[in-house]
Amino acid sequence: MASSDKKPLPTPASTGGDGGPPGKPTTMSTMMLDKGAAALQSLRPVKQINQHVCTFALYAHDPHRQLTSPRSYLHRIIGVEYIVSRKIFEALPKEEQRLWHSHAHEIRAGLWASPRVPEMLEKTELDHMAGTFGKFWCTWQVDRGDRLPLGAPALMVSPQAERIATVLPDLVRKRDQKYGFSTEELKAARADVDVPADPRPGQADYWVRHHKGFALDVVPHEMKRHAPFP
Amino acid sequence: MAASCHDVDPVPGKPTETGTSLLETATGAIQGFAPVNQIHQHLCAFHFYGDDMTRQVEAHHFCAHLTEDVRQCLIFDGPDAVARLIGLEYIVTEELFLTLPDDEKPLWHTHEFEVKGGVLFMPGVPGVVERRDLETVAKTYGKTIHFWQVDRGDALPLGLPQIMMALTRDGQLRQDLAECVEKKFGVSFQKERENRAYMTGPAHGIHPLANAAGKGLKTSIREVDLPDPTTRARVFT
Repeated sequence: MASSDKKPLPTPASTGGDGGPPGKPTTMSTMMLDKGAAALQSLRPVKQINQHVCTFALYAHDPHRQLTSPRSYLHRIIGVEYIVSRKIFEALPKEEQRLWHSHAHEIRAGLWASPRVPEMLEKTELDHMAGTFGKFWCTWQVDRGDRLPLGAPALMVSPQAERIATVLPDLVRKRDQKYGFSTEELKAARADVDVPADPRPGQADYWVRHHKGFALDVVPHEMKRHAPFP
Repeated sequence: MAASCHDVDPVPGKPTETGTSLLETATGAIQGFAPVNQIHQHLCAFHFYGDDMTRQVEAHHFCAHLTEDVRQCLIFDGPDAVARLIGLEYIVTEELFLTLPDDEKPLWHTHEFEVKGGVLFMPGVPGVVERRDLETVAKTYGKTIHFWQVDRGDALPLGLPQIMMALTRDGQLRQDLAECVEKKFGVSFQKERENRAYMTGPAHGIHPLANAAGKGLKTSIREVDLPDPTTRARVFT
């Protein structure tokens, strides 16, 4: 039905237009309705989100395709990343660990940055983050021009020192220009960030070590059911 | 209020330290959160797995409009501050759904039944107000992906993403889950169903390819050979 490594057939959902999501701009009456509802609701889980980090991610089935996350002004949700401590990562089953990536390299290399946060504030966080591991699923492949979220979710992986895992210089340059900081300078400033002696425990960064990517498929499968469907 | 109608192991790790909280309060105050600030609506509904209707999840959607015709939602397993982010949903109008390639359509589900059936609701919002938007939602299609299988008690987001489906007829929703949610939020699905009898679904009817093409689906993962590192990189901008 769908695979994360197959380009969708050309339709208005996958191509054309100005690249933005289709549809008329949100109308005033919709905005008023939303604001009215929001005034009555607490939205508590969303209010817990209080940190904005900008970094780069590579597709696990084709690391030459890369994303700057977060992406552009359109504010599309393109995926979800979970981040855990080393202790939690090491307790994961081996099969599960293969889906997770390390953060030490991208932090040392200055790729991981907090837009608008003063350097001093960031330092406390960096030492901690350099020892964490992430699992990132991309649900909208905006870099190939999809106007809607098409296909199977794609596993994303982090930049690493190896050649196949390097971020394209052009992407870095664009990001620097957009946010007004220098990745090179950040890298120099982070020379003393604590990086674990063994930055790749267990099966972390499996793809780089084994030179194998991961692709996801959505396939037809009998649905276990206790009532008629659909 | 009980946090969740599911039994989930607590998330591992020490409670968030004061230092971390302070740091995040600081970043929260300094940084811009435009995409998150667009989220203006909380919807509660139920999802089940594309390959298993018997496994059902209470899904709290926090949604924003990208355009008049496209919405995006973060999905949590509860309405409170400690709720887990378990998935995402994208919602589009019927018109946009019809532009999707045929092999994409099965990954999307209809909302007509859960809206008209009264089981999809906006906590805290009076019926008169919520119905104004739900009339529109009843005609839309959604694509839901879950990353954290809380219904089987996972303490962490393990395994592969799951394409989820929505209720399409009576008899599917588990009674225990329905009763727990009705009680927790003080709502009556039956009463809402009566209030929403006037609503209509997609103008062209429910597309036969939607809702897993009426069958079922699942995700699977495979290893692939990576492209030659010396190949010229493609940059999509």
